[in-house]
Amino acid sequence: MDEYAITAKNISKKFTIHHEKTDSIFEAAAGLFQKKKKTEILQALDDVSFNVKHGEIFGIIGRNGGGKTTLLRIISRIYAPDSGSVDVKGSIIPVLALGLGFHPELTAITNIYQSSVLLGFKKAEISKRVDEIIKFAELEKFADTKVKNFSAGMQMRLAFATSVLVDPDILLLDEVFAVGDVNFQKKCFDTIMDFKKRGKAIIFVSHDMTSVRNFCDTVMFLKEGKVGLIGSPQKSVDAYLDYLETQK
Amino acid sequence: MTTIREEMWKFKGILFNFAISDLKIRYRNSVLGVLWSLIEPLLMLGVLFVVFSTMFKFDIENFPIYLLLGIICYNFFKNGTTFALNSLTNRSALMSQIYFPRSIPGISSGVTAAIMLIFELVVLGIFMVVLDFVPTVTILVLPLILGLEFLLILGIALPLSVLNVKYKDTEFIWLVIVQAAFFLTPIFYQFDMLPANIQAIFQFSPLVQIVTMAHHVVLYGTLPSINSVLYAVGSISVITGIGYLIFRKYQAKIVEEV
Repeated sequence: MDEYAITAKNISKKFTIHHEKTDSIFEAAAGLFQKKKKTEILQALDDVSFNVKHGEIFGIIGRNGGGKTTLLRIISRIYAPDSGSVDVKGSIIPVLALGLGFHPELTAITNIYQSSVLLGFKKAEISKRVDEIIKFAELEKFADTKVKNFSAGMQMRLAFATSVLVDPDILLLDEVFAVGDVNFQKKCFDTIMDFKKRGKAIIFVSHDMTSVRNFCDTVMFLKEGKVGLIGSPQKSVDAYLDYLETQK
Repeated sequence: MTTIREEMWKFKGILFNFAISDLKIRYRNSVLGVLWSLIEPLLMLGVLFVVFSTMFKFDIENFPIYLLLGIICYNFFKNGTTFALNSLTNRSALMSQIYFPRSIPGISSGVTAAIMLIFELVVLGIFMVVLDFVPTVTILVLPLILGLEFLLILGIALPLSVLNVKYKDTEFIWLVIVQAAFFLTPIFYQFDMLPANIQAIFQFSPLVQIVTMAHHVVLYGTLPSINSVLYAVGSISVITGIGYLIFRKYQAKIVEEV
């Protein structure tokens, strides 16, 4: 087995911010004859490199808009980086802030099927796990309820349960503890530790410095899209807190 | 085109999952449920039949079957392309969470339309029995013609799905075009009733050729003329080719726009 589960090299990504966005064909056609509209470049990620080992919990901290979610999206192939490369060994599941892209008009069960199919599972394999997922998420009473009627916590629970029970090699967690009660947090914590024991890599994004300190083996501090520091949780968290002081 | 075919094969599961969940959402909470896809063409046929057999009389043999067949071909085209318009925007949440090829929602719109087409063909069958109409043996070619139409739908659905994310008025423009196509296609009249100079222009419309070919094989027992096949295959290849180029240009960055 290779030493690293994720190898990211020199990733850069910029977004163009349109102050007056052209969003109709007529405007686009008219725009051919007008002078260029104002745009601004936002460098979301600038030359970011890091490695995540098997069985490692890798934390990412930084301010809002610091590039954390963009980075997770690049790792999971949702965004294409402008330059640089990401090498991922094994199946990967991104659990970003809200749900797994659940469709509001479909029931919990239908959504489990949809997400699992998207993550590459066959219908028969999913059928075996559906009950287990619902039970883990503690949503037995709401299995046939449409997701639009779920609370944020319920959606997160469903997303977390679906992702861990399809058993990916790499788990990306973005603010999973922000919602969900203490009992469920405990359950998440145990599951994550179990993943770690089985040699799976976990990327953990959070604003809660206590859980970052307790959880992670290595922490990366993203400073305005650049790597501020990669090191022990203590060092990175301190660097981040110092940086926040200077921003005041 | 090979890349699209490979993607289709590899992601067959996702494709059918999307197509079926689209159908479910379409008929959600309606008492008649999926029966709507039978009733809708029946009602539309009823209205057009009354209008065109009493107010505007065209002397066409087996007019009900002629009309219904044309409507079914047109509906397939209309459904496939208009479902595609919002296929990506409706999945913006999903797109920003899990990776899947951007072509799948567009293609699955075509598949949804194909499933609805099957229901409508059942309605056609019922009408044939009720009207005691026996189709000619050349009806066996009809699936090929509809297959060709499916290609046309994909060629338009893919670019529409990405364009409608980037340019919000794509939807309005396309709906007008689709409406115009209903009148410019020989659904309730025969193509050779049109003036010659207009025929010369609209023979390039793939929909005109497909509907004409369908009429030929079902009603008249003749195989489509070489001319029709050439025009249809030619125009569909051009449209699909251009459509694919447009799709490829926009697809990589489309997730950043939704």
